[in-house]
Amino acid sequence: MDKLGVGIGWRAEIDLTVESLPVDFVEVVAENLHVEHLPESVLLLRERGVPVLPHAVSLSLGGADPVDPARVRHLGALAEALDAPFVSDHVCFVRAGGLDSGHLMPLPRTRDALDVLVANVKAAQRDLPVPLALENVAALLEWPAGELTEGQFLADLVERTDCHLLIDVANLYANARNLGTDVDRFLDEIPLERLAYVHVAGGVEHHGVYHDTHAHAVLPEVLDVLAKLRDRVDPPGVLLERDDDYPADAELAAELAAIRAVLAR
Amino acid sequence: MTAPQRAELARAQTELLRALLADGAVPEGFDRDRVAIEARALLNKRRGVVRMVRPDLADTLGDRFRPLFDAYSRANPKHEDTRMRQYAAAFAEWLVTQGELEPPRKRRWWQRKP
Repeated sequence: MDKLGVGIGWRAEIDLTVESLPVDFVEVVAENLHVEHLPESVLLLRERGVPVLPHAVSLSLGGADPVDPARVRHLGALAEALDAPFVSDHVCFVRAGGLDSGHLMPLPRTRDALDVLVANVKAAQRDLPVPLALENVAALLEWPAGELTEGQFLADLVERTDCHLLIDVANLYANARNLGTDVDRFLDEIPLERLAYVHVAGGVEHHGVYHDTHAHAVLPEVLDVLAKLRDRVDPPGVLLERDDDYPADAELAAELAAIRAVLAR
Repeated sequence: MTAPQRAELARAQTELLRALLADGAVPEGFDRDRVAIEARALLNKRRGVVRMVRPDLADTLGDRFRPLFDAYSRANPKHEDTRMRQYAAAFAEWLVTQGELEPPRKRRWWQRKP
């Protein structure tokens, strides 16, 4: 994968901040943008040569229904408009039985669920102009009767679809904290040579459960997971996600610096 | 090729979303406490979005906003084809039918204040 460096999630609320921060690349939430009316700030970043990666949240690739071609087309059109090297979404479902969960829901880690996910990912890949990277999600609950560890599930997904991985170390920390996922085993099981980039985000612990809020500071424990990953591979990119309760610019700059420090260790 | 797997997955995922969003029964094998925590997290997120798109409702209802929204959302979970603004508008209409909110007065041009 091409080297991306250290980036931040572009959000309309912090567009000027993002423009002024020392970042090498940004990510945009695909569903928030219209191809015909891209925000001026995003176009400015493109003019500066900053890579802008479309990140989708609504393909529901792990859902029971076949992928919605219109959503895939939008993601692909955005990739072309932004000249993005690849696009991403999550290993999750967000729709079932006509209901919309409103958030990324974990999948049952069964071979049957993996078969459906693989079929959906292949269908999306056929219609996308660039490679697809898929991200591990944070879960608050565990499906019963899992047949594979999360690492095995992702490794099989990569093997069968040739997709790339977007590893969110905050989500991995959340699953370790909440579900007992073994971080070292996870990192040993996934094909790190397929790593596109890494997400880092903040969260908060509430009554013994860690919530991946993207609205709080990044915990040192999350940077420790990033360090464990860094021990195994030099990631092509690491991106900070902040979606709410935006802090002062200096605070975001400090979090980016902390990420750079872990990478330079 | 994946039809049987899809059918079973649809059943299981629908059952879980009903439990999380619409007070449905907790599916077998799930930890009840975790389902409750996830349900609360989803409700908090959705309430936050409705508050963002309709700050007027939160302002008018004050402390009643949260319990009223939560009751509405559990009885009327968001459908996949409903846009968030439509969902917030439907909540506002529900508030009127419940007598919790005055019906919006449509101000005509001849009623405009000078």
